[in-house]
Order: sequence, then structure tokens, then C-alpha cells
Amino acid sequence: MNSIETTSDLLKPTTRLKRRYRVERWFKRLGLTAIALSLSFVAFLFFTIFSDGYTAFKQSYIELEVHFAAEEFSQEKLANADYPGLVKHAMRTMFPEVTSREGKKFLYSLISPAAAYTLQNMVEADPKMIGTTQKVWVLADDDVDMLMKGKIDRSLGEGNRRVRDIQLAWIDRLESENRLETRFNKTFFTTGDSREPELAGILGAVKGSFFTLLITLSLSFPIGVAAAVYLEEFAPENKWTDLIEININNLAAVPSIIFGLLGLAIFINFWGLPRSTPMVGGLVLTLMTLPTIIIAGRASLKSVPPSIREAALGVGASKMQTVTHHVLPLAMPGMLTGTIIGMAQALGETAPLLMIGMVAFIVDVPGGITDPSAVLPVQIYLWADSPERGFTEKTAAAIMILLTFLIAMNSLAVFLRKKFEIKW
Amino acid sequence: MKVTSIFVAGALTLALTAPAMAARDYISIVGSSTVYPFATVVAEQFGKTSGSKTPKIESTGSGGGFKLFCSGVGVNFPDITNSSRAIKASEMKTCADNGVTEIVEVKIGYDGIVLANSKTVEALKLTRQDIFLALAKEVPDPANPEKLIANPYKTWKDVNSALADTKIEVLGPPPTSGTRDAFVELAMETGADTFPVIEGMKKTDKEGYKRVSQTVREDGAYIEAGENDNLIVQKLQANPTAVGIFGFSFLDQNADVLHGSIIEGEEPNFEGIAKGAYPVSRPLFFYVKKAHVDVIPGIKGYLAEFTSEKAWGEEGYLADKGMIPMPKEERQLFSKNVASLKVMDMK
Amino acid sequence: MELASRTSNPAFPTMLSGDIIREADEAHAYTTGRKTVGSPFVDNPRMTCRDVEVYYGEKCAINKISIDVDCNEVLAMIGPSGCGKSTFLRCLNRMNDTVPSCRVIGEIRLDNIDIYHPSIDVVPLRARVGMVFQKPNPFPKSIYDNVAYGPRIHGLTKNKAELDEIVETSIMKAGLWNEVKDRLQEPGTGLSGGQQQRLCIARAIAVSPEVILMDEPCSALDPIATAKVEELIAELRTQFSIVIVTHAMQQAARVSQRTAYFHLGDLIEVGPTDKIFTNPKHRLTEDYITGRFG
Repeated sequence: MNSIETTSDLLKPTTRLKRRYRVERWFKRLGLTAIALSLSFVAFLFFTIFSDGYTAFKQSYIELEVHFAAEEFSQEKLANADYPGLVKHAMRTMFPEVTSREGKKFLYSLISPAAAYTLQNMVEADPKMIGTTQKVWVLADDDVDMLMKGKIDRSLGEGNRRVRDIQLAWIDRLESENRLETRFNKTFFTTGDSREPELAGILGAVKGSFFTLLITLSLSFPIGVAAAVYLEEFAPENKWTDLIEININNLAAVPSIIFGLLGLAIFINFWGLPRSTPMVGGLVLTLMTLPTIIIAGRASLKSVPPSIREAALGVGASKMQTVTHHVLPLAMPGMLTGTIIGMAQALGETAPLLMIGMVAFIVDVPGGITDPSAVLPVQIYLWADSPERGFTEKTAAAIMILLTFLIAMNSLAVFLRKKFEIKW
Repeated sequence: MKVTSIFVAGALTLALTAPAMAARDYISIVGSSTVYPFATVVAEQFGKTSGSKTPKIESTGSGGGFKLFCSGVGVNFPDITNSSRAIKASEMKTCADNGVTEIVEVKIGYDGIVLANSKTVEALKLTRQDIFLALAKEVPDPANPEKLIANPYKTWKDVNSALADTKIEVLGPPPTSGTRDAFVELAMETGADTFPVIEGMKKTDKEGYKRVSQTVREDGAYIEAGENDNLIVQKLQANPTAVGIFGFSFLDQNADVLHGSIIEGEEPNFEGIAKGAYPVSRPLFFYVKKAHVDVIPGIKGYLAEFTSEKAWGEEGYLADKGMIPMPKEERQLFSKNVASLKVMDMK
Repeated sequence: MELASRTSNPAFPTMLSGDIIREADEAHAYTTGRKTVGSPFVDNPRMTCRDVEVYYGEKCAINKISIDVDCNEVLAMIGPSGCGKSTFLRCLNRMNDTVPSCRVIGEIRLDNIDIYHPSIDVVPLRARVGMVFQKPNPFPKSIYDNVAYGPRIHGLTKNKAELDEIVETSIMKAGLWNEVKDRLQEPGTGLSGGQQQRLCIARAIAVSPEVILMDEPCSALDPIATAKVEELIAELRTQFSIVIVTHAMQQAARVSQRTAYFHLGDLIEVGPTDKIFTNPKHRLTEDYITGRFG
């Protein structure tokens, strides 16, 4: 052994070698920190959304004893009866001591305006009810609900909160009589939008998103796959195909609001399709997702080994048969993944829908692709912008539902890729 | 090839059948984001109780609403547009050019614009002059009142020695917002008029007057917080020295954490705005296309619901949502106009 | 070495006999001969190739080759890498059509029909001139479907029973039946390399071609699998004409009746296999088979 350091001494690593390992260690640590940092952001996001939103799945109900007095239903139509009057009457019977005009106003405000709709629906479903007295659980007002969920601080002075002292006393009395309780919020999953937080539901937006994505999927998948197959398998290699390729890649990076403007100009102003409907929304999102699907489709077609094409051509398959029998089935998992990712992107999009009027207050749950409807992200945006405090938790809950759908779709993409991937 | 022809056929069918699908059985409403919270409540109430379809309401801003509204007559165009200001002559002309000649104007109530801050600190007591001095881009030089200089004020105390020594930090809506238009017009312009030099420009230099009285400073003291008023509310809670500008309904809903600044001795509350005492308030409107009333089902019902006492009355549900009702005589006048569908005088 | 100088070099006018070429000393002189040495032509050929040139863009890959493929023979094509033997093989069933820049000049006839004639459809052509590739490339489908694919797309059978029979006989001819008869529905990609290659041969013969082209069919296989495939090739000769490209000279010597030697796009020498390996006429051939280069 001479004094020159060599790497051949297995027992004593040289300083050079040590340095190499140090760099490697540092690189690993940096990578780990980056991952930890992003994970903690995600965790924080999930935590804040969940802690804000989980209360939205519960809702406060108040039990009323409603007397459906026959004289109230003298009008020809059941709908014309004074249902809010019935609610008020029930409240007055429960608290006979309240006589002042202002006191009554505070008393009535404990019950959601939705209570009247509940009664109307009950009577319309079963007109025999008229003349009887029924115990009915109706929605409490959003302020009561916020108080029950601890989002209004009782310890503040009366002027500093939306619930008066006298209302607090009534609420406590109702609670002690077991006439006020929080239950699972079924309304949230079965109704459309509303300006009353206690009545607002996500179903309209979920169905709107469903119809919109249905249109998007049924248009963009076949068109995207056909375009990808043509460009990858059939198109001659020349300047035109290069130009098309560059343009498709560019389109994938175009801000989505541009597609909204395009949709407004073509589908609404030129074709005259109805505004605010899933049909137009689906068409606009089709324009937006097509580049993603085409790019993913071409990548997965490229990854099909050429030996398969040769084998098929070698036994005398035509070009079309080679593609449809062999290449396309092998590329399909990749294409599906690309499509689902494109769909997930479309599910979370609001900007292009703004231009075609899907950012709108729509109460009725849409029944088809030509009914006006909102979509999930739009619903989140609208609720986040509403002044009532009760919408804060609804917003978070809607985000949770949107995230659930996104996670489900992305897991499906991973599942499909794993399931149909062909090992060589 | 087969695949392609199917798509071509599909696209053609879609294009051909499009007009047939365009029949509409619900009311389409567009317009101001300030009126949106009120119109939506009426629409919901109407839909839930009448059995008709609930009207669809888009919040496009007053200007955007008129643009859509005035594009023409037919099912593809909205029936009603909400506005936080009266229709402009130019918009009326666009309407007339596109065949929208019969418009019913309905004033529905008032909205106050408030400057609010966190309850953890004291409420500001301001005049409109203070507001102008604090927020304008150019103000008269205190040393030489004849000359306009770039706004030098950093703290509220600089503006008015009676105010607190805190930094001027105002969160407000961007120029696209109707709230901003109204704020500039009602607060800033009136404040500007208290200075003879600016007042004088009204006659000599109209453009210059508009620029000076309406331009909000851009040196960071005024922060454009986007259209989302809830965001401003949240930021005010986090930052007690900041002041926010938004509609009264947001203050009403967040009265537990925020309080409004007192402007010229008037607190921004329900009574003050209804009486007209609170200076920064504005009327709200909606406009109905008369040609649509008998074509689209439900418009009459919606109008009746909106102009009923239980909606826009002093005890009505719109008041619960923060809209300031009109005096009784005004309500009667407009509900009569609506009942008879009295159209506006198109100049 | 450019084409121009070779064709117009007056120092070497026409070199017909092997002796003249053998005597020439300069290295470049060996390749100037346009005329192939030996016996490229046969009586009653299955395929005839005359003055075939192949260009990739401007680059010449095959330089005026003329050769026949006899019925029921195995014709081996040998030569150093890049000599154009695979390119030439792919001309015989127009697989080169898939390469956009590839241009084929000259005449190739199958049973006296010009396969490059504009009215010729490549689909039935490839059914008559089958191909087996270097790397086993079964479809990622079942063994049965792999073999049945050709007959299905060409509509060779009327019913399932006929198809079953074709599949069975094809796999039998490929010598694979005993190994796979119980697992016809299992994926073809699950077989071993040698089995896969024999499956590919079964797939090629299922459409009853006249000629089978094999492009180094054993280069990805171990010696035992290679031996099996070679055995199979010998058996298949009774029914088909086989053209095989190989790098292994022993393999050419074992399986083929005639051997063609390619060098830099030229067909140097063709002759009965035993002659080529024992007594090559051309110096280049001799150098190659004695291992002096290649």
C-alpha cells in the first residue's frame, strides 16, 4: 500500500467516496422534506375542510304540533292554503306566553321557512290529514342550527350575536322537552340549491355534474380516441400533421375560460342551444378535455410494441384490423386513464361554465340534459359567496363531496390501469 | 370511416334539432350580484309555493345583465335583469336597437354600502370627505388647496385628526363590481364635491372631474379583494385594523363580528337606510321584458310574488335577508306599475 | 463506397467468372461485380426477383438483386449485419410498405404474378407469404385465438369445427400440440420463448401460405429451443417454401438447401448450401464463412 488514496481499498472508503455518499444522503433528505411538506399541506387542507364541513351532515329539527284546521283549506287548491300561518299557529300554541308583536317575530324566526313547504307536501300527499292534529318534525332556522352546532358563541353579549337571549331561553326549553334535536341531514342529499342554508342540498349540483360529464364523456372519448388513432396510426408524416400536433399540445394549455367564450359563441349564439344546461356545459368541457384525451391516447398508442403491429400485418390483417383488433385493445387502459383524468379535470372546472350561464341559482333538480343546472364546483363557488353563516359548513361539505368524487375517479383510473395492463 | 360518419351525422342532428329544443318553461333572470341574494329568495319562494318551475338566476353584474337582456327578444334571451342602478341611456338604446322596446322598470328597495371593521376595535366615525381623502388617487394639497397632489395620507389620523392613528387599509370590490360603482358615486364623489377646486372642475373640465373624483388610489392602501364579500369578512376578522367595503346584507349577517362605520353621524342600520338618512345607500331595480310576459310561463306569478307585502314589505322576508324596503307609497306605486305592466318611456 | 464509382469503373468492366474475381486483389474490387456468382435461378420457381432495388429515402439499401425461390426448399440468407438481407426478406411480402420512406424498384413475382403491381392487394399477399419474426411476438390473447386469428380475418372457415381443426393441425405441424393441447385458452404470452416462436409459426401456417419468411427466428432462443425450431423448419419444407435469414452459419448449413450470401446491399453468391460452405466461389463469401470478418 502506498500513500495514494484509491477506491480499491474496501475497508477504508476514500474521502471522495464519502463525499459521493454525503451528496446522496442530502438528496434523499431534500426529497423527503419536499414530500413531507406537500403531505402536510394536503393534511391541513383536509383537516380544515373536514372540521368545517362535517357538521353539515347533521341538521337541527324542531317538533311542532300542527293542527290542520279544516277552515284553512277552504280554497280550491291545496297549494293556496296559508301554511306559514299553520306553523306560526303551532309555535304560538307551544309558547302561549309570547304576545308582543316583536316577541312573536323572534319566535317565528326559530323555524325555517322550509317548514311551510314540509306541511304543504304532507297535505298534498295525504289530504285526509286536514282537520287532524299531527306531530311534525320540521327544519329549524339556520341560526338555531348554528347555535346547536356551537358555531354561535352564547357567552357573547346579546348585541353581538344573531340569537337573542329570549330565543336562547326558548331553544333551551325546546331542547329540555326533547322537541329540538339534530339528526342526519337527509335534505342535503335530496334537494337542489336554496337560499335557506338549512334547506340547501347538493343533489341538483351532483346531477348537473353527472349529466354534464355524461355529455362530455360520450363526445370526447370517441372523438378523442378516433383522433388519436388517426394521428398515430394513419396520418402521413408531413408538415400538416406536425402543425396539428403542435396545436393540440397548445390547446391542452389554453386557459379554460377561452373554451367558455368559444362555447358561448358557437353553441349558444350560433346553434341556439339553451343557456345554463348540461348539454352546452358538456359540449364546452368536451372541447376542453379533448386535447388531454388525444395526447394521452397517442402516448398509449405509442407504447404498444411495434412487434404486435408487425405480427398482425404479417398474417395478413389490414391496417384497420391491426388497429382495432390488436393495437387499440392494448392501448385502451392508457386511454381510459387519460380520459378519466380529463373527466376529473372537467368535474372541477367552473371558469368556462361562467360564460355559458351555468353559474346560476337553480333550485329545481335537473331531470335531463336540457334542464338548467349547476355543477358541483359552481355550487361551491355560489355557497362560498352567500352571506348566511350556515353556508360556510355547506361549502365545506360540498368540497368534501367533490373531493370524494375526484378521489373515486382517480382511484378508478389507477384500478383500470392496474387491471388491464398487459405484462410482457 | 364509419366512426367518422356517425359523428358527422350526430353533429348535424344536434345542429338541426337545436332550435326545436330551445322552448323554455322557466324564467331566466340575469344581472346584479347585489340583487342576486334577494331575487333568489323570491324565486325560491315562488317555485316552492306556486308549483311552477323555479326561475334560474345568474349573477352577471348589472352591466353584464343589461348586455344579455338587451340582446333581443326570444327564448334564448333573459326575461328579467336585476340591477343595482337605473338603466343607462346607452343601454336603453342597445335594447331598442335589438327590438327590446317594451321594458317594465321595477324598483324593489335599497341597499346600503357599509365600511365595516372588526368588533375588537372601535367603529370609525367618518364623513364622506374623510372617505374621499383616504381613498382617492389625487387629493387637494393641504398646503395649497388649489393644487391636486398624489394622495399623501398614510393613516386615518393624517386624514382627520379626530380619527385613530392606524394605517389606512381598505378592502373593497374591484372596478367590475356594481358595489364599487355605487360606492364611488355615493361616497367618493360627494366627498370630492366638498373641495371647491374639484367642484369647480365639474363645469370647466368634465373629464378631469370624473378622473379625480372617481379614481381610487393604487398605492396599496385600497386592496381589491375580488367579488367575494365573504372573503372580505374573513380578512377583516383576521386583521382588526383593516376596513372593508360591501353591501349591508353582509354586515347584517355578520353583525356578531363586524360593525359598520358611522358616516356623518348615521349608523348603517336598517332604519337609517330605510329612512334615507344613511348617506351611502342606493336603490335596487329589476327590469322585465314585456314581450316575454305571456310567452314564458310564470313571469306574472314571479312579479306578483316579488311585489307582495310578504316579500318586499317592511316585515317581509327580503327585509330578513338584509334588503331595505321602500316607503309604503313607493311600494304601492311600483306594484301598481307591475300589475298593469307599465312600460318605460324609451327615449 | 459510392454507387457511382462502382458502376462506371472502367478498370473492372464485367466480371462474370469466379476466377477473375478471386484474382482481383483490391478490397473494393470484390463488390463491384453486379452479377451474382453461383446459381441464383432455378427451374419452376415459386418466387422470382429481378433487379430488385430498395431505397430508404436517398439511401440505397439493396442494389439490383435477382434471385429465385424454389418450391419446397429452404433458402438461407446470410451475411454480415446491415447487409440488407432482412430488408430484402421484407420485400417478399411487402412488409416494407409500412416504412413511409421505403421505395422498392424492380420486379418480384409470386407464381408469376407481380406482387408490386398497383392492382395487387397486400392483405391476400401476406396470407400467401407468411412471416415469422426475430422476437417471438404472439398476440396477448389465448393460444387458440393466436392461431385462429388469421383464418378468422381471411374467412377461411365456415364454422367452429373447421376452425378448431385448422388450429389443431397448425399447432400440430408446428410441433406444439402435445405441449399446449390442454391449455389452448391460456394466454400465448405465458409460454416459454421457444414455444412462443413455434406458436408464431403455427399462426403463420394456419392461413396455408405458400412461402414462409423467417427473420432470424432463433436468435432470441436457447440452443434446445433452437434445435426444435430447426427440426420444425426441416419438416415444414415438405409443404412450404421457406426463406430464412440467419446469423448462425451452422444453422444455415443444417436447415437449408440453398444459401445466399449478401454483402453491403449486394447479393454476392448463391449456391447449394454444401457448396457454399465447402467451396465458395467468391472471395468475400469465403472470407465470411471462414470467419475473417462479419
